[in-house]
Amino acid sequence: METRSFTEYLRGLDDAAMLALFSLRPDLVSPVPPEFASLAVRASSAPSLARAVDSLNEWQFQVLEACAALNEPFAEKEITSLTDSSAKFVIPHLLNLALLYKSSDGYRLPNSLREVLGNEPAGLGPASMAKLSMKKLDDAPDSSKKVLQRLIWGPPRGSVGDIKNPGPGIAWLLQENFLVPLDQRTVILPRDVAIYLRGGKLHKNPQPNPPVVQGKKIDAALVDRAAIANIATMLRWCEEILNYWSEEPPSALRAGGLGVRDLKSAAEHLGVDENCAAFITELIFLGGLVVIDPDDRVLPTHAFDLWLTQSAELRWRNLASLWLITSRVSGLVGRADSKNIAALGPELDRVNAASTRKLTLEILAQNPLLTPEIESLLALIKWRAPSRRNPGLQSELVLWSLREAEWLGLTGQGALSKYGQAFIAAQDALGIQADLPKPVDHILIQSDNTAIAPGPLEIHVARVLDSIADIESRGGATVYRFSETSIRRGLDHGKTGEEIKDFLRKTSKTPMPQPLEYLITDVSKRHGRLRVGNTSSYIRCEDPSILTEILSDKKIEGLPIRRIAPEVLVCDMEATEAMAHLRAAGYMPAAESGSGVLLAGMKLNRAKARPRPPRIIGELEAPTDETLTAALRSIRAGERSSSKQSSLRQIASNALTALPRTTANETLEILHEFIKQQRTLSIGYADNNGAATHRIIDPLSISAGSLIARDHGTGELQTFRIPRITGVAAL
Amino acid sequence: MTDGPLIVQSDKTLLLDIDHPLSTECRRSIAPFAELERSPEHIHTYRLTSLGLWNARAAGHDAEQVIDTLLKYSRYAVPHSILVDVAETMSRYGRLRLEADPVHGLVLITTDVAVLEEVIRAKKIAPLLGIRIDPETIAVHPSQRGHIKQSLLRLGWPAEDFAGYVDGQHHEIDLVQDGWKIRPYQELAAEGFWHGGSGVVVLPCGAGKTIVGAAAMAHAKATTLILVTNTIAARQWREELLQRTTLNEDEIGEYSGAKKEIRPVTIATYQVMTKKKNGAYAHLDLFDTHDWGLIIYDEVHLLPAPIFRFTADIQSRRRLGLTATLVREDGLEGEVFSLIGPKRYDVPWKEIEAQGYIAPAECIEVRVTLTENERLGYATAEPENRYRICATTRTKRNVVEELAKRHADDQLLVIGQYIDQLDELSEVLGVPLIKGDTPVKERERLFNLFRSGEIKCLVVSKVANFSIDLPDATVAIQVSGAFGSRQEEAQRLGRILRPKSDGRTARFYSVVSRDTIDQDFAQNRQRFLAEQGYSYKIIDADDVFEGKL
Repeated sequence: METRSFTEYLRGLDDAAMLALFSLRPDLVSPVPPEFASLAVRASSAPSLARAVDSLNEWQFQVLEACAALNEPFAEKEITSLTDSSAKFVIPHLLNLALLYKSSDGYRLPNSLREVLGNEPAGLGPASMAKLSMKKLDDAPDSSKKVLQRLIWGPPRGSVGDIKNPGPGIAWLLQENFLVPLDQRTVILPRDVAIYLRGGKLHKNPQPNPPVVQGKKIDAALVDRAAIANIATMLRWCEEILNYWSEEPPSALRAGGLGVRDLKSAAEHLGVDENCAAFITELIFLGGLVVIDPDDRVLPTHAFDLWLTQSAELRWRNLASLWLITSRVSGLVGRADSKNIAALGPELDRVNAASTRKLTLEILAQNPLLTPEIESLLALIKWRAPSRRNPGLQSELVLWSLREAEWLGLTGQGALSKYGQAFIAAQDALGIQADLPKPVDHILIQSDNTAIAPGPLEIHVARVLDSIADIESRGGATVYRFSETSIRRGLDHGKTGEEIKDFLRKTSKTPMPQPLEYLITDVSKRHGRLRVGNTSSYIRCEDPSILTEILSDKKIEGLPIRRIAPEVLVCDMEATEAMAHLRAAGYMPAAESGSGVLLAGMKLNRAKARPRPPRIIGELEAPTDETLTAALRSIRAGERSSSKQSSLRQIASNALTALPRTTANETLEILHEFIKQQRTLSIGYADNNGAATHRIIDPLSISAGSLIARDHGTGELQTFRIPRITGVAAL
Repeated sequence: MTDGPLIVQSDKTLLLDIDHPLSTECRRSIAPFAELERSPEHIHTYRLTSLGLWNARAAGHDAEQVIDTLLKYSRYAVPHSILVDVAETMSRYGRLRLEADPVHGLVLITTDVAVLEEVIRAKKIAPLLGIRIDPETIAVHPSQRGHIKQSLLRLGWPAEDFAGYVDGQHHEIDLVQDGWKIRPYQELAAEGFWHGGSGVVVLPCGAGKTIVGAAAMAHAKATTLILVTNTIAARQWREELLQRTTLNEDEIGEYSGAKKEIRPVTIATYQVMTKKKNGAYAHLDLFDTHDWGLIIYDEVHLLPAPIFRFTADIQSRRRLGLTATLVREDGLEGEVFSLIGPKRYDVPWKEIEAQGYIAPAECIEVRVTLTENERLGYATAEPENRYRICATTRTKRNVVEELAKRHADDQLLVIGQYIDQLDELSEVLGVPLIKGDTPVKERERLFNLFRSGEIKCLVVSKVANFSIDLPDATVAIQVSGAFGSRQEEAQRLGRILRPKSDGRTARFYSVVSRDTIDQDFAQNRQRFLAEQGYSYKIIDADDVFEGKL
C-alpha cells in the first residue's frame, strides 16, 4: 500500500522537484527507469536509500532519525518537538532527497528506510504495546532507576541472568511494563519510555550547527612560500625516484605491488619516510609514469620522458588532479593492521577516499590561512559527512589527505596555498611556474672536489653532471662530488677526459681547481688502457709476415679476421672452421687449446648431453616365491574391499530406484505433515547438475522456500531448497 | 623567493654562499645551532643535527628563533619537513632535567610523565636509576650522571643538567697580558666554554689553543688537571702557562713517566694515565686525588678509551676539550661530545688566516714518477707491502733533497711514517732525526736548537704530529703518512701555521708517487684540509728540478 502512495507522491512532483531529486540522487537515473512505479521501487530500495542517507550531515541525519522514531503518518510539529525548532529547515532537504514524503495524512517514510537506518534508530527500542503511565516512573525504586539510566541512551537492550528470577529493580520495571522481556536473558526498554526519560527529545547532543574549525592563523606569504617549496620538492621526488628505478628497477611482488624492501630503499634514496615514499610511488603510478612490466619489473614509462619536457606547472597540475579523484589510498601502505597492502598493489581502493579528500580541501578552502587543529577539523568532517558504514577509516583518510596535500604543496604549513586555491577553482594559470626558483645553468667547483649548483639545474646540465659526479646533497641546491669512480662512469658513458674538462670549465663560475683537473686527466689516462672483447678464435704466428700475408690473401678474403697485435689475429669464426678455410687456402695451421697446448690428435666430436640409453623391453624374469606370495596377498585384500564396496553400491542403487516421487503441492503438504509429526522421511533431492540423490532426513521447519532438516547421511542440519525436492516418502 | 646567502637542503645541510654580502651576518646567526662541516672557498656546508639543536636550546635559543633565522636568510623556500623537524627536535629538550635534590641527591625530573615512563623502561637506563620518588621524579645514582646523560641522548630525550658543577678547590689564576693580548676568538671560545659549562673548542693548529685553556683556567680560578699527548707537549704547556698567567713554577706539576708531581695545576700525559700495572690502570686515581675544578683535555681527538670511561664518572667537574681536527678515525666523535661536552666553539681555518692569526699556507703535492724498476717492484709486491714500497721509493729521496736545497734558508721539517726512510733522509740531508726512541731530553735539545735557528732542518717521525710548538718552521715536506688519515695531514700542516714574524706564507709539500696507491691515500688525506679551503697545487717532480715552484 505504502509503495503505491510513495509512487503517487513521486508522480505528483513538478519538474523542478524531480530534477532536484535526480541531481541529489543520480543513481536513480542510471539507468533511466521506465516509469514512475519502478522509479519508486528504486528510490525505496535499500542500497539507494543508504547512499542518500550517507549524503546527509549529522543534523540532517538526526532529524531523519527522529522521523523514524515516530509512528506514521506524522506532522512537522512532532518532528520539531522531538528535536529542535530548526529541524523544519532540514525537512525540505529530506523531501528533496525523497527520504521523506508527504501523503494525504502527513509525512511518511519510504518503505525500506527504517531497515536502512537500523532496527533501533537513535538507540530506541520498539514502541510499547501496553498502556503506560509515565508518572509512575518518578516513583520508581532506586535500583530500577539505575537500570533505566543504563538503557536510556541506548542500546535499549540489557541482559539479565534469568528472566524468571530478575533483581528487584528489573522486576518492578517488568511488572509495570517499563521493560519488556525479549527472550530468556534479554529485556528491552520501549521507545515511549526512553523518549519520556530523555525529556521528550531524541538526542543527547542535538547538533543543529556545524562545529567551528579551530587553528592557527598564518601569514599568506609564509603559506605560499612553504607550498612552493613543497611543490618543487614533490616534483623532484617524482623525478628522482623514476631516475633511480630506471637504473635499478625493483621487481613487483607476486601478489602485485612493490615489496617492503624496495619501498624502503626508495624512501632511503629520497631521504623521506616510507609513507611519503608510498605516496610518491602511487602518485607517479597514477600519472602513468611508472608501470609494472610483464616481466614483473617496475619501470618508468615513455610518458616519463615526455613528462620531463613539460613545464613544472603542467606536471604538478596533472598529478594533483589525479590525486584528487583517485580511490587509491597510499596511506594504507605499511599500516600495522594492513600488512599485506603494497604500494602499486591491487588492494588500495577505498570507497570514501576521493570524497573525503574533496571535503577536506573544501573545508580548508572555507578557512583560508588557517592551519587547522586536527581535532576540530575531524569534528567538522564528522558532522558534514558522518561516515556510518566504515567510521574507522574516515579520520585516517582525513589525516592522510592533509598529509598528502602538504606533500603536494596544495597546502603550505597546513593552510591552503594560493596554488591550491587556484587549482581547486580550476583556474587556467596557477602561478606556479613564475614562483618556482629559476633554473640555473652554472655550478661552483671547489677545491675539495665538490661542485655546487646553487639552484635547480637546467636539465641538460644536470644530465651531464649526473653522469660524471655523485650527488651528495639534494634540495634547492645540489651538491655533487667528483671521485675516481664518478669520472670513470662519465668516461664509460662515452665522454673523453677533455670533454669533461671543457664542460666543467664552461659550466663552472669558479675556476677549476687543479686537483680536479689532475683527477680527470689521471682517470682518463688509465681508462680504456685495457681492452676487452669477444672473439671466437685467434690465429697467432711468431712470424708477423705470414699474418700479413694471410690478411692480404685474396683466397680467404671472406674470413672475418682482424689484426690486434703484430703476431695475433682474431677471427669471428669457430676454430675448426677457420682452420678448414686456412687449409683450403694452402696454409698449414695447427690447433691449440685455450691453455696453449698443441692439439695433435684427431678431433673427435662428442655429445654434450648425458648418456640416456633406451629402456630394455625383453622377456620377463622368473619371479621369486616371495614376490609371488606378496602379490597374492595384495590381490586378496583388494578383493575383500571391493566386494564390500559393491555391496554398498547395491544398497544405494536399490534406494535410487525407489526414489519417492511426489508433485510439488504434495511435497509441501507432506512436509508440513511430517514436521508436525516429527517423523523421519526419505526424499529425492536434485543437486546442482540435476542428478537426484536419495536422502534420509528429519524435517524441522520450513521457511522462505527452504526446508531445514537433519540429514542422516551427514548428521548435520542442512537447508534443502523445496523446488529441488523431487519427492517425499515416509520411512 | 628572496636573495639570501643560505640554501636549506632537504637532507638538513645548509649551504652558505660566503661571497654573499650577508654571509658573515648569516654565519653568526646559524653558528649557535648548526655544525660547520666543510668550509672550502665558495660555499660552506653546515648541518642541522639533533645535538646541535639541543645545544642551541641549552644556550637559550628556541625553535622559533632557529626557524626565523632559516627563513630570513634562506634563498629558496625552506622545506616544510625541516621546519617541523627543527621544532620537534627542540621540543624534546628539557622535558627531562637532572637536578640536585637536597634529600635524594641527584634526581631526574620530568614535565611530561609519558616521557619519563618511556625512558625508565629502556634497558640501558633502568640500571642507572634509583627509587621513584613521585610520578615526575626518580632518583639517579650520582656516579651515573655521565652515563645517564649519554644514554638519554641516544634515546633522543636529552636531559637538561641543572645539577651544576663542583667548584673544586679554589686557586687564584689570572692571565698576565703584558706584551701580548688575548685574541678575540680565543676570548669568545673561552667564554663560550664557560657559559656552556663543559665542552669542546675546535681551533686550527697554531691558533693558540693553550691560551684558550689558560683563559678557561682564569675563569675557573680553581685547581686544574691538564691532560696532554706527550711529555714535550706537557713542558710546552708549562712554559706557556708560566708566561701567560700568574702561576709560578711551584704551582705547576708534571705527572709523566719521568716525574710524578701533583700541584694545583697538574699536567699529565695520556700515556701515563693509560699505563697498566698488574692489569689495572695505576694512575687513573689522579682524577680523584685532588678536588679539581677544571679538567682540560688537549688534542681531545686522541683521547684514549680508558680516559673516556673515566670521563663518564666525573661529570660534576668542568671539562674542556681542545682540538684542531675533531675527526676520529675510530668514529667516536659522538662519544667525545656526550662525555666531554658539545662543541662550544668552532671557526673556519681560513677565517682565522684572514685575520692574520695563523700563517697563510700553500699546499703543494709533488708527484714523482717511479722508475721502471720501482714500478715493477711495486706491481709485483704483496698488497700489504705496496704502500710502503711506493711511499718510500728512492725517487722521493732525490726530490726531497732538491726541495731541501731550494729551501736552504728556511726552517724546514721533513715528516714521514717509515723509520728506514727517515734514517736514510736524515743521513742524506745531514740533519738530525727525531723518532719514537729519541730520549725526551734529546728531543727537547733538538727542538730548542731548531727554534733558535741553529739547526735549519729536522727530520721527524709521527712523534711530532701533535702539540709540538715550532714557531719558525715555515716549510714542511711530507714523504709518507699513515694510511689515509685525514687529521694527520692537517696536524702536520699545523706545525708550520704559527704566524711568521715577516708574514711569510708557509709551504707544505707532500711528495707522492704517481699512479700508485700513494696517490689515493694522499687524496684521502687531503680531504680534511680541502674542506677547510686549502687548495692543493699539483706539480711534477721535474718542475722542482727545473726550479718552477
